[in-house]
Amino acid sequence: MSNKNALASKSCISTTIIALLAIITLFPIVWVALSSFKPQSELFQVPMRFLPAHWTLENYIESLGRGDFPRYFANTAIVSVTSTVIAVVINIMAGYALAKYEFPGRRFCFTVMLATLMIPLQVIMIPIFLQLKRLGMLNSLWGIIIPPAATPTGVFLARQYMTTIPDSLVEASRIDGGGEFFTFRRIIVPIAKPIIATIAIFSFMWRWNDYLWPLIVISKQDRQTLQQALATFVGQLQINWSDLLAMTTITIIPVIAVFLAFQNFFMEGVTAGAVKG
Amino acid sequence: MTQFKKGSKEFWIPYLFLLPNLLIFACFVIVPAVQGLAMACTDWSVFSAPRFVGLSNFVELSRDEVFWTTFRNTIVYSVLTVVCLIAVSLLLALLLSKGSVKGEHGFRAVFYIPSLLSMITVGIAWRFILGDEMGVVNYVLRQWGGEGVHWLTTGNLAMSSIIVVSIWTYAGYYMLIFISGLQAIPGELYEAARVDGAGPWYTFRKITLPMLSPTTLVVSILATISAFKAYELILTMTKGGPGYATKLIVQQVYESAFLEDRMGYASAMAIVLMLMIGAFTLVQFKISKGDGEQ
Amino acid sequence: MRRVLAVLVSALVMAASLFANGGSEAPKASGSGTQKDVTLSVLWFNDGDESEVFKATMQDYLAQHPNIKLDMQIVAYSDYQQKLKMLISGGNPPDVARMSTGDLVALIDTALPLDGYTDVGKVKEEFMPSMLAYAYNREGKVVALPTEATANGMLVNKTAFKNAGIDIDAVSKSWTWADWEKVVKQVIAANPEMKYGLAVDFTPHRFSTILYQNGGHWLNADQTGMEFDNPGSVKMLQWFKRMHDENLIPKSVWLGSENPAELFQAGLVACHIGGSWNVNTYSKNIANFDWGCVRMPKADIRSSVPGGKLLASFKGCAHPQEAVDFMLAAADKQHSEAYDKATKNLGARNDSSIAYDSNTEDFAVFTDELKVTPAVTANEWKNPNFAKVATYAKEQIVQYLLGNIDVQTCVANVDKRGAQYFK
Repeated sequence: MSNKNALASKSCISTTIIALLAIITLFPIVWVALSSFKPQSELFQVPMRFLPAHWTLENYIESLGRGDFPRYFANTAIVSVTSTVIAVVINIMAGYALAKYEFPGRRFCFTVMLATLMIPLQVIMIPIFLQLKRLGMLNSLWGIIIPPAATPTGVFLARQYMTTIPDSLVEASRIDGGGEFFTFRRIIVPIAKPIIATIAIFSFMWRWNDYLWPLIVISKQDRQTLQQALATFVGQLQINWSDLLAMTTITIIPVIAVFLAFQNFFMEGVTAGAVKG
Repeated sequence: MTQFKKGSKEFWIPYLFLLPNLLIFACFVIVPAVQGLAMACTDWSVFSAPRFVGLSNFVELSRDEVFWTTFRNTIVYSVLTVVCLIAVSLLLALLLSKGSVKGEHGFRAVFYIPSLLSMITVGIAWRFILGDEMGVVNYVLRQWGGEGVHWLTTGNLAMSSIIVVSIWTYAGYYMLIFISGLQAIPGELYEAARVDGAGPWYTFRKITLPMLSPTTLVVSILATISAFKAYELILTMTKGGPGYATKLIVQQVYESAFLEDRMGYASAMAIVLMLMIGAFTLVQFKISKGDGEQ
Repeated sequence: MRRVLAVLVSALVMAASLFANGGSEAPKASGSGTQKDVTLSVLWFNDGDESEVFKATMQDYLAQHPNIKLDMQIVAYSDYQQKLKMLISGGNPPDVARMSTGDLVALIDTALPLDGYTDVGKVKEEFMPSMLAYAYNREGKVVALPTEATANGMLVNKTAFKNAGIDIDAVSKSWTWADWEKVVKQVIAANPEMKYGLAVDFTPHRFSTILYQNGGHWLNADQTGMEFDNPGSVKMLQWFKRMHDENLIPKSVWLGSENPAELFQAGLVACHIGGSWNVNTYSKNIANFDWGCVRMPKADIRSSVPGGKLLASFKGCAHPQEAVDFMLAAADKQHSEAYDKATKNLGARNDSSIAYDSNTEDFAVFTDELKVTPAVTANEWKNPNFAKVATYAKEQIVQYLLGNIDVQTCVANVDKRGAQYFK
């Protein structure tokens, strides 16, 4: 009985700590979100106010009316979803190959992948641009879907996860007469669900927030993405605060939604599966 | 690990698994990267033909005081950020994966939200908080009769602020990776430990940490690489200032390439940066080999 | 071993292919038939809603030229130059691009000279000399058309001055920086919320305003080398540091890159040395005090620094003739006045007379500052070699403000760094 009480109070303490941390974590974001409901003249007023003195939707109305936001929104959604699907498939495959097979060039492939992660993109932007031009992918959404889908981070995450899967599972499937691809699809993929969920969430978020690839690839206004449009509010001499804050708030929402959806969809049942394995 | 004989039908299977990734990779990253980095041995402004200059960019780099300042800053920032990030994200993962906290999923989402934000947003949000005159924290301090703290305007504090904000931004992201790693640890191990009467600290050290070591390696390497390449966050928060206090190599690379129009010199810097990251990564692999794979 | 060799060889081949690509492509033959359908690609950046205003302004031109369509892309200013460099080096330059003076300077060699497409002699007479200065390339050819001018000037919190019993309009008719210092100390004393006297934007460009007023300069007289080490610049630097040390200028701007316009809007600082574009922001945002523009104090001389935006086309673009025609229309009296009026900018033409909806006196003050500004200012700021050292100079000034280096080291470092671009 006393043991149970101790457990309950421990849980109480950790919940309190976590809740405090959560408040600190959310504060800056809430501040931005609340600021987006303030009229321009209130943004830099002293004394400062947490809540807007005069709530207004003016910033939202103005920024949604400007440019072609539904279009940018659609572009970003198409790119994020497509790229994420591709990324999950090919990263899991590559991770599996690197983790579960021994073949000539394995270490080399792995090292090169990690090494490219280390290059600051800034110095290779112009060569990338020229390459995309050669391949005819400029100004096409494919140009921001396909190249970033092969993320070294995704492969790395997948590989590291796969190394924890016991070799005996693969062997067993092979003895049962399962082909290599069958083994991958029927045995590995179900076990790898947590990492699939993780890569899916990350990949979606990377593509949703991606700024550099669209900057390189897209030179047509109607193929523009949200992050590109968002960045244009910070000008040379002035910052368009009202539009920036409102649009920032709007762009955050879908990523959070996707995260919540995926978290419940995958991570829940996964713990049980992992225990069995 | 499976190995197929050369010449056997299955020999090509691992390559097939890798193919789509490698193909995209070679086309869009490796080829341009080689082209870009080869420029380190040239004097090249974007619009003139590159002129081969051998290693003179590297010689100049070794004498460039600003570069060495950014070099030091990069190491200080990266080491501190990575160490703190691992500690914080692991702690969050442990607290939020055992079912001991009510509303686990909600909290996970909360800590993950900052990493969903674009860097512009992060910069804006924290300038509202830490600004010298216009920041909320200093405003509250002054209201209470205290002095404002120069969060972003004195060297060491500015660096610390940047590190704290980096941790704020990425902790949730690495927390997720840790959680997926924790979930892969078989429950029987904990069960057995409990039967043996092991305490929580003992269980953590003898079961959780070793079983988690592949994940820890991923986190530390990814965190290291992204810390060494940190750019936008710093640009929006301090612009590398005050003076050079928070200027990192990547910012210098960008400025050389696009403001001073010295692509070759920037590539040379990028190569040094890559070597630095490579060295740190290698050390991490070595350490993880040393204590991980018992 | 063979694999390593293969990688090396392919690397060399790839590098070689880039070398071949690095040079500029020959301009394509321009189509002479003016009636064919043409889609002009226009690259743009925004400070506010200039792109919308611009499109609206050019509506009548497009109606008269049904064969011309615009394909306008808006790129964030922070990556604008990078984007242009990519497009140009990739052989896909836009037909028309909005250029800040800084970006134009950096890309001046790739801009399309207008002679051959229009009567340049006429163009030269139409625009203000200080703006036209930016439009010349190294060979002395006009490569851009100004659409709007900006100037640096002083914006003041009039209510704060009034609270101190000072008639700022009278005092500023003719004042020196020494007068300013005395006055502003009274203002700070009389206003409990006010903490500082002056905010100067964190850019070498705005810094230069007071530099030129002190008789300082960055380059030598014939613009062939750096000469930041001169008595006027040293005097300005020392004054600037003293202002920071005495807390008349907030440290958070130059040391912490806090936005001075925000400090001014919050009523924390009495005066702001900023550009004419602030009039637009302040007129929208400031509700709880009275503000306005006044003549800047003088040191040795009076001076502002001219800036602005221009339209340029690029060598090798798809439709040079149509692009130049379009630019000429956009920069003509009727269109540029409409555009400047709506975007609240100063006119860039000699014959501009803009009837602003409000703040007419404020714009007049800025125009007045431009008139007394010596030509050396624009000449320095259009120097492509100087442009490359500007960021470094800014950092060195901060190093001096922090007390990490002395003033002599500061100016010497800037000169040394600059020297390598003036070879």
